[in-house]
Parts: sequence; C-alpha cells; structure tokens
Amino acid sequence: MISIAVSSQKGGVGKTTVSINLAHSFALAGVRTLLVDADPQGSVGLSLTRQSRLLAGFYDYLADPGIPLERLIVPTRLETFSLVASGQASDYEAGGAGMGAHLARVRGFLRSVASHGFDLCLIDTAAGLFGITGDVIASSDAILIPQQAEPLGIRSVPKLLEGLNRLRVMNPRLSVLGVCLTMVQNELAESTEAASALRQLLPMEMVFRTQIPRDGLFVRASARGLPIGVLEDGVGAQAVFDALRSEIEAKLDPTSARG
Amino acid sequence: MMDPIHPWLDPIEVRRLAEGLMRPNRETATPFSDAGFDDDFVGFATDAVPPPPAVAPPALAATVPPEPTPAPVVAEPAIEPEDPAPDMVARGPFLDRIIRFRDWMHAQFGATGVFILDREGAVIFDESKHGRLHFLARSLALASRRQRNATGNVHVKITAGSTLEVIPVDTAYGCLVLGAVVPEALNQNSVAAVMEALSKIASPPEGNG
Repeated sequence: MISIAVSSQKGGVGKTTVSINLAHSFALAGVRTLLVDADPQGSVGLSLTRQSRLLAGFYDYLADPGIPLERLIVPTRLETFSLVASGQASDYEAGGAGMGAHLARVRGFLRSVASHGFDLCLIDTAAGLFGITGDVIASSDAILIPQQAEPLGIRSVPKLLEGLNRLRVMNPRLSVLGVCLTMVQNELAESTEAASALRQLLPMEMVFRTQIPRDGLFVRASARGLPIGVLEDGVGAQAVFDALRSEIEAKLDPTSARG
Repeated sequence: MMDPIHPWLDPIEVRRLAEGLMRPNRETATPFSDAGFDDDFVGFATDAVPPPPAVAPPALAATVPPEPTPAPVVAEPAIEPEDPAPDMVARGPFLDRIIRFRDWMHAQFGATGVFILDREGAVIFDESKHGRLHFLARSLALASRRQRNATGNVHVKITAGSTLEVIPVDTAYGCLVLGAVVPEALNQNSVAAVMEALSKIASPPEGNG
C-alpha cells in the first residue's frame, strides 16, 4: 500500500477538492482507495456524507486504541472507494497535542489500512506542517502539495520547503510528489503570473504539469455531496484529475500503487 | 508593476531547499530506521513556542537577553574528569575546556550525554554512548538551517524521560553541532546560554593562543 498525505502550509488552497477528486480518480482506475479526513474541520466528510457529524473517524481512532478500523470505514457506491471521516473527538479542533504525540497511533492506523487490503490511502490533512498533520506526513510514503495560484500563496513556499525538509529528517523515506497548482484563473493575470512564477522558482519535476482550475463545478459537486466526475457535466473536470493521477502514478512505482 | 513574488523570498535559497527535497534521500540506506528513533521514541518534544514546535525561531533566539547570572563556563575552576571516555576525539587544552563545558551541562541541565560534531558530521567530542544519535543530530541541524545562515535549536523527545537537544553554534572553528541528552527541552534562555558557552570554549584561548 502507498500512503499519500495531501498537505499544504497555507489553508484554503483546495486540499479537500484535490483529495476527493483524486481519490475518486484512483478508485475509478481500479485502485482500492481509502480517503481519510485528517482535517478536524471534517471537510471531506462534510462534502461527501450527510451523516459525517455522526460518524466515528480518524481522530476517534487516535483517541481510543479500542476502536477497530473497520468501524470507521464508510463504503461508497464505488466498490473501490471508501472513506474514513474526521470523527467526533473534538479535543483536536483547537490544534490538539503537539507534533509527535500521535505518531505511533498514526502509523498503527496506516498499518491497519494496509492490512485491510487497500492499495492507496490518501489523507486530507489540516493546513500547516505541524501537530497531527506533521505526524501524518512523518508516517506517509509521499506528500502531494496543493498550492493556490496567487501571490500570497507563492510567498509561503519558503516556509513550506523548510517545513518539508524538517519532516523529511523525521521520515527519510518520504517522497515529495510535488506541488499542484490549484484555483488557477486563466482570465486573471495575477493568477497566471503567480503560476508561472512558481514554475520558474521550483525545479521542473517538483511542479505537476496538471493544474486545477477554479471552477464553479466544484461548488456544485460539493453541494450535492459528490466527486466532480459524477456530475453530468463533470467529465472535463474529471479528466483534469485523471491527468494528475497519471502524473502521480508515473512518479510512484505503479506496481506498488496497485498492490 | 511591482513584482508580486520575488521581493518576498530568496529564489536561490528556495531552489536549494526544493532540489534537496526532490533528491532521493540517501540517508535511507543507513541502518538508522526513522532517522535514529527506536521503539523508545514517544514523540517530539513540545513546549510553549508556537508551532511548528520543533524549531525555535532564529530571530527569537538571537534576541533573547542573557541569563541574569552568566554561566561561568570558562571562568569556572577546572573540574578534572574522573575517567575521560577513551574515544574522545579532542585533545589538549581544547579537551579540557570541553570537559568543563560538559560538566557544566551536567550540573546546569542534568545532561546525561553530550556530544559535539562538526558541520560534516565528524565527531569532535563524544563522552556519551549515543553514537546512533549523531546522524539524527546532524540531520536536524542541517534541516533547521534557515535562510541567511541563521541557525536554530531543535529538540526531539527520544524516550519518556529524555530529550535530545540539538544546537548548532557558530564558533571560531566553524559551525559546531552540540547534541545533549537532557531530561526535558531547554528553554530559550538556556539555549542562549549554552550557545554562548560553547562559542567561548571553542575560541582560541586569549593570551597564550
């Protein structure tokens, strides 16, 4: 199994949108995928399951060693696509414990996911590279970094890189898949210039060719509790995430990705 | 129109950090699993510093006022070690000064192990049995290296009752990396005192060179 943390230094960059739709793309491709909501705000759950506020989830698992993973897994209509919600444990909502406090539990969680036969565990984390998000990254095989295509977001890149360098010391096997530009607005000069600046700033292999546009479809999909590819007019948007998946598969060992 | 990106960052430093991240981590081939952590590892130390907690902001460290009572490291009468560890690398007067420093670390902070590496990871001094922590200390020190050559201390909790404090210190002999196993993470005043003390002992003696 491969575990991928979807994380960013800054909030509001589209992590949850990327996580949901990328996970859906992998699942459509036949990869047995578990999407885990490790954001205490529970955005994945709020997007995809109406009863998310009633579900036990990731944070309950961290808080209670007695909870088995199977109690947390929420199946979807797609056999290869399952979810784990954020959960009810609220102690973490204000930032919770410090980094490392839950490292052993997070690693135990991922071992349990692997033992349940999943090929891919995609983890949507809270913003920032500290606290439990740091523990998730320090436990994952790889990290994908959504980055909003706007100047303020690009200015946060040095802090992001410093944080990742630190976490890579804790987790030397961490593979940095790269930065995925999100909310790109081709009609807005500041947005395209920011995207271009990031591509110049970072090594070519660190920035995905695929970029996610800002699109009202995402709002509609979220309103209906669906991945965008399920919408009747979501084919084009789904193709964007399929392209991102292909790039990720090329960076990962495809035999590992598919178990 | 004003450049909305570059005045806010150092492109060369960003590039260096990014390229380091994209390189396969050669250190994974070392026998240290999890960069030196073992089954005793219970998590990173936490303190009152705002997140990210593992690294102290260098600007803060630089502006910390000195301790009300300066640490009398160099002026303190030499305390001869009963039995210096046979694998000490340092020799001569420098060794004497380091031993005084080690004793001070023991007395002030309850340090149970002290080692000093140079920037390349070579062992300058190691009285401890913590050789497996050298790699971790050096990696942390390198990773905590901030822009504009500032440095920051890092600490990781290695067992329930001990924390590895890693403090890079610029000295007359270049940057040295101090590793100390202490009961709990040092506060910023203590870190500043340790940095000052190590910087002093790693300076050529006045008068007789």
